Amino acid sequence: MSTTVQFFVTCIIDTLYPEIGKAVVQVLQRVGKKVEFTPEQTCCGQPAFNAGLRDQARPIAIQTIKAFEKTRGDIVIPSGSCTSMIRHHYSELFEHDPIWRERAQAFAERVYEFSEYLVDRLGIEDVGARFPHKITYHSSCHLLRELGVDRQPRRLLANVRAAEFVELPHTTDCCGFGGVFSVEHPELSAAMLERKISNIDASGAPYVVTCDAGCMTNINGGLHRLRKSQRAIHIAEVLAHV
Amino acid sequence: MSSPFRSKIRQALADPILQLALDNNAERRNTACRTVYLSLPENLQAMRKKAHAIRAEVIANFDRYLEEFIANAQRNGFIVHRTQTAAQAVQIILDIAARHQAKRIAKSKSMVSEEINLNPALEQAGYEVIETDLGEYIVQLRREHPAHIITPAVHLTRQQVGELFHEKLGLPLTDDVPTLTATARRVLREVFLTADIGLSGVNFGVAENGLICLLTNEGNGRMVTTLPPVHIALMGIERLVPTLEDLAVMLYLLPRSATGQKLTVYTSLIRSPNPGDGCQERHLVLVDNGRLALRNTPLKEALYCIRCGACFNACPVFREIGGHGYVGKSGQHTPYGGPIGSILSGGLFGYEEFGHLARASSLCGACREACPVDIDLPGLLLRVRAGKVGAPTSPKVHMPNAPASLKLGIRLFSLIATHPRMFYLAQKSAALLSRLISPASSWLRLPSVTGWGVSKDFPRPAQKPFRQQWKEMHHNTSISTPLLQSEEGDSRAGIPSASQPTQPENLTEWFAAEFTALGGQFFVCREDDLAQKIIAFLKEHQISDVQTWHSRYLPKDLIPTLEQNGIQVTTQANPSLQAGITGVECAIAESGSLLLPGDAERPLTASLLPEIHLAILRSQDIFPRLPEALKRLKEIKPPAAVLVSGPSRTADIEMTLTIGVHGPKQVVVFCLD
Repeated sequence: MSTTVQFFVTCIIDTLYPEIGKAVVQVLQRVGKKVEFTPEQTCCGQPAFNAGLRDQARPIAIQTIKAFEKTRGDIVIPSGSCTSMIRHHYSELFEHDPIWRERAQAFAERVYEFSEYLVDRLGIEDVGARFPHKITYHSSCHLLRELGVDRQPRRLLANVRAAEFVELPHTTDCCGFGGVFSVEHPELSAAMLERKISNIDASGAPYVVTCDAGCMTNINGGLHRLRKSQRAIHIAEVLAHV
Repeated sequence: MSSPFRSKIRQALADPILQLALDNNAERRNTACRTVYLSLPENLQAMRKKAHAIRAEVIANFDRYLEEFIANAQRNGFIVHRTQTAAQAVQIILDIAARHQAKRIAKSKSMVSEEINLNPALEQAGYEVIETDLGEYIVQLRREHPAHIITPAVHLTRQQVGELFHEKLGLPLTDDVPTLTATARRVLREVFLTADIGLSGVNFGVAENGLICLLTNEGNGRMVTTLPPVHIALMGIERLVPTLEDLAVMLYLLPRSATGQKLTVYTSLIRSPNPGDGCQERHLVLVDNGRLALRNTPLKEALYCIRCGACFNACPVFREIGGHGYVGKSGQHTPYGGPIGSILSGGLFGYEEFGHLARASSLCGACREACPVDIDLPGLLLRVRAGKVGAPTSPKVHMPNAPASLKLGIRLFSLIATHPRMFYLAQKSAALLSRLISPASSWLRLPSVTGWGVSKDFPRPAQKPFRQQWKEMHHNTSISTPLLQSEEGDSRAGIPSASQPTQPENLTEWFAAEFTALGGQFFVCREDDLAQKIIAFLKEHQISDVQTWHSRYLPKDLIPTLEQNGIQVTTQANPSLQAGITGVECAIAESGSLLLPGDAERPLTASLLPEIHLAILRSQDIFPRLPEALKRLKEIKPPAAVLVSGPSRTADIEMTLTIGVHGPKQVVVFCLD
């Protein structure tokens, strides 16, 4: 296995949370990887795909595939949702275009969600992190149900020193983000988030760890509006912390 | 932005009673399903794949299976009507009713009848149509549509039902669920006994032998298919399975996903008219109504649906708005809400009107996880959103129904995201703009019109996006050895499911445990003390008249001994009798079920009309599992049969389990060892 790894930061983390991007890089370097970042990357195209606008999603996906075709090695993505888009939905996006479908397939075989990469690909469950707080874990929908990744982030969190882990009631319930859903159906999204926040309250943890910055933005947006003190944080932030 | 759908959403969210009812539904149903899945004989995921494959096979070779099914059903004595449209189906039913000069039609639950608007048509033609499923009866009295395909009155509280029964039936005001249920039993009993036609739905048709299968808990499905002289079964044309073995797979999954039961209380398996035991004439009305047109589209998987309602219960959106929330662009009602309904409603009744429902999903995938036949519901919702709903010959139906503002936004985003340099400039501009709007806080309070601003704040974009920081960063590029190496391409494992329960060795004990858990009573006895035990039971309950099977199907000497002891015995159905005595063809240990054939000498009424059903079972007739019992059924070929799993029950009012609805309140097994 090559020691060089490509980092697909995702549009949300790139734009809103560069510190999470840096945390991912730190963790990957700590486990001995040489991290590369191609500036030609932008977004996986999921917002357009989920909106039903495939003609708009396709050029974005092509941009991404082309950007990474020029690189070598595994591609790490700190998002279950973007990973699932590439792994499961690109083939349908290019259903009438065998050439791009094949290129998308080759690209998809290289991508890993961040926690999946550490645990399944590298066999690492302890990255030497220390986080002296009570934490709970929100299962992101696409990570859990489309990638089947749940054990991996939980193993990584279990090995964080000084952290006290508590279970989030109904952790697998959607937080109400759903990308374009959250702006098209804000009332429904709000009601789902309200339920999530009451479960966060019930957990008693000040930090809700997630593997997706989309869920994180949604949960924090609601917590801040309600003037609540808890915060959702990305798993990379916990794992980078020593 | 306002539309009838948006108004419905707001209305539902603002209704605390509805919210409580929907929470209750979701929590109870989902917990019950998870628990009962553990009792499957195979791994759940393997079973789901198997069920998916069965449904896929049927839809892929539909014409062959339909032809086989129709030929067999006709050979068995069904009068089969194949209809293309809702109007044709309604007309055929009107014609049957007219031919029989019917006045009263007793209906058990049928979503197809909702779909084709049958009740209003029958009422308009002067027929009295009475829904007999408790939940359906309640919504009919309220002149409403069902709010859930399995639990029609899911949106109502016991108090609301109490007020309804007070107003419509003159019952003194009460919110006691058993009293409400007993009232429905009393009122509807008379309906069953006097109806000219019984109308039912169909859960499955079995191609290899033309059998129809119907699942109910209350016993109303048995009543309407047994008592009235004419039975009309209304079936969605796609609901076929090739063989009885395939049916067994469905029966393992449907009740578990629908209500968290191992098997519904009554699984009726109807082969033909049963003139010796009530039903003289059976009609089977097959309804297409747009289904077959879906076969050659990217949405064909929607036809695999077995209408269990599990996706409704799992869906966080259904949990907020309930079944009445799913309305068309112009406010038109659809009988199919929830995730599957958000696909099917467009498919069957038009995307122009219902296409937007597919957008009311966060694509969380809880529906697919809950679906017992593993339909890729999020994938189908995405296809509807993309307008990928036509046949391959017309690959693009032009109807991406994204709102105009979103479309514009995505177009712009697509342009930016395909030019990294522009992407960076957009990031920088957003950061700058956000700092002008919100110089002091790292949070933005967006206006409500953006959607996001309704209930959430938004983080200010970073001044330096990651790509910029990366460029500036002195990142450590030193190469060190990874801490651990792993094999390539190993576990991308799915969600693990629990290990399967081991099968108890003693079948009698296993059966007894399952049967009593359902509320049945179980006694072991010897052949020579059976009669005395039954007499003692009857005396204790002060019963002197009973309906029984013909003596040839009961242990020798039983009938004479009963008669010698002053018990009046008849094989004729009589609603005033308090107890029925039957034999048992065979029993199923895993679900605590009794297989009872029905014909002139083994009347199904004996296990249906009386409040107490006494069943005599030989321990050697207990099979461990369902497929073995269905195999026995294949051999004996009765006109009708039923699998009875405990006393009749309902949970239609506030999900409160109530024992004894239309069928017996007590089921007592005397097991001859």
